[in-house]
Amino acid sequence: MALLARRASILALLVLLALALPSPASAKVANEYDLKAAFLFHFAQFVEWPAEAMPNKSTPLTIGILGGDPFGKTLDAMVANEAVRGHKLVVRRFREVGEADSCQILFISPSEDARLGVILSHLKGRSILTVGEGKGFALRSGIVGFVLSDRRLRLAVNLAAANASRLTISSKLLRQSEIVGPAGLPE
Amino acid sequence: MSTPRTTLRRKLITSMMLTSTSVLLLAGAVFVGHDVVSVRRLLVDTIVTRANMLAANSTAALAFQNPDDAGQVLDALKADPRTISAALYDQDGRLFATYPRSGSPALVPQEAGPIGHRFESSALAVSQPVVVDGRRIGTIYLKAGLGLISERARVDAMVVLLAILGSIVVAFGIATWLQRRIAEPILSLAAVAKSISERKDYTVRAKAVGDDEVGVLAEAFDEMLEEIQGRDKEIRLLNADLEHRVAERTKELEESNKELEAFSYSVSHDLRAPLRHIHGFVELLSQHAGPSLDEKGRRHLATISSAAEKMGALIDDLLVFSRMGRTEMRKTTVDLGALAAEVVRELEVDAKGRRVDWKLGALPIVKGDPAMLRLVLTNLFSNALKYSGPREAARIEVEAQSQNGEIVVVVRDNGVGFDPTYVHKLFGVFQRLHGPAEFEGTGIGLANVRRIVGRHGGRTWAEGAIDQGATFYFSLPK
Repeated sequence: MALLARRASILALLVLLALALPSPASAKVANEYDLKAAFLFHFAQFVEWPAEAMPNKSTPLTIGILGGDPFGKTLDAMVANEAVRGHKLVVRRFREVGEADSCQILFISPSEDARLGVILSHLKGRSILTVGEGKGFALRSGIVGFVLSDRRLRLAVNLAAANASRLTISSKLLRQSEIVGPAGLPE
Repeated sequence: MSTPRTTLRRKLITSMMLTSTSVLLLAGAVFVGHDVVSVRRLLVDTIVTRANMLAANSTAALAFQNPDDAGQVLDALKADPRTISAALYDQDGRLFATYPRSGSPALVPQEAGPIGHRFESSALAVSQPVVVDGRRIGTIYLKAGLGLISERARVDAMVVLLAILGSIVVAFGIATWLQRRIAEPILSLAAVAKSISERKDYTVRAKAVGDDEVGVLAEAFDEMLEEIQGRDKEIRLLNADLEHRVAERTKELEESNKELEAFSYSVSHDLRAPLRHIHGFVELLSQHAGPSLDEKGRRHLATISSAAEKMGALIDDLLVFSRMGRTEMRKTTVDLGALAAEVVRELEVDAKGRRVDWKLGALPIVKGDPAMLRLVLTNLFSNALKYSGPREAARIEVEAQSQNGEIVVVVRDNGVGFDPTYVHKLFGVFQRLHGPAEFEGTGIGLANVRRIVGRHGGRTWAEGAIDQGATFYFSLPK
């Protein structure tokens, strides 16, 4: 019995080691949502929020998921123990848009497509970077839309919506993106 | 005195040129070395900074997986032709984008290397992290050619070379000027020393130049010359005085000598007449009263007669000696061989009954007074004959040798010889090494020989030892 238990523990160790090692890129690319999760994390680095959005250092930078969660554990694993500009990263999942007022990045799941208009109008004016699927998301005054083109994940950014939310998107990020919607100056 | 002018000048210029050139070369090498090192450092700084700038611009491209944009960022490197290659690697070290885009894979490493820079054969490779908000999301690699450094080194070397060439020209000018200032006083001093040693002119002065050691040397030199000049003058004065005194003394001596000779000549001459009377009347007396005198009386008369005869011979010899000093020489060619043979024939008459072995060698023809030379040979031969008298068989050798431009006539006998201690007295008047009881003679013969040979410009000397025979020499100039 002791021998068996020992074997089991070695096996478990090996599994753990395999998990701990960085997974190969091909696996990542294969999973579209792994990439999207990484993008969500990087948005935190290339977008600036107005000071009142995170009044002090202890305020976490919250990435919210509204509706069905397509990421599973990936996103949680990615942001675990990470911080951006001194703000700890946390992931929270919401059923209703009303609960999501305090987050800084909000991924609106395709499952919420039917209520998108209500959701976006609720979030209007709040300093929340809204992220959704497709160019249409950005055109419908969402801020960033994931676009799959030529088997690559690209971004569509509604700069007017970002300005309305008092979010400053780094020009470096904009270089990677297609600007959509009415080009407008900050109000 | 040789001419050392060029050597001193060349030495001075060479030493100055060597010093300046080596200093310049050393300074130039240090300059080029330092410049190359600082240019390398500058290149490293430049490339690292550029890599960091590119890294900052590539963050979003890496974060949002956009290799096209990363490629565009790297394309900015076109502006610098030194750039060989560049690459971006993602978080996991995989190649993400390259510059040039279609570059061969050999140009960049396939995986990200360690952070830092390293010099390769002709390139500088730099790896820097790509960081966003303190989080490393990739690596940038940049490789630039070292053309700048080698170009800079070449330019530096040219500049240094030109500077050295220019400096050598300037240094040569300065060295020439300096050497003139240093060498000129020494050279003028040397010229003065040379002219003094050549012309013995102690009135020349170096005339002190400058206030340095050379000036001191010139001053001391002048003082020395002053001293020498003074002494030289003194010596000349003393010498002139001495010569004057010697000439005076010689003149006095000559005069008194002449007087003495004239006196002895007249005395000898005047003595002859009374002596002839004595001799004549002794003859008459012995004829007239001889038979009436007893044996003793006749012996006294014979003694008087022989003494008078001896005295006559002495007076005659003295007159000859005196004449040899006074009469004019009649110089002509004389066959010494014939003369010697004649003299030997005459002497053989006196040597009747004796065994005499004459050996006459070949004698040359000389220039001289035949009567005087005959007297010389007669005296020497008759001496040889006389002093070899005690020998059972006399041997007399006569020969001539040619030595140092002179003819030396040698007369050698096997007679009684003489004590070499008194060899210096042999040729003096009335100097006899043997008593008249032993050998008769007046003591004037060898004095005559010396006087005649002397008047011919030759010398006389003798060698011998008691009972070992004697050898007489006289020389005549050719």
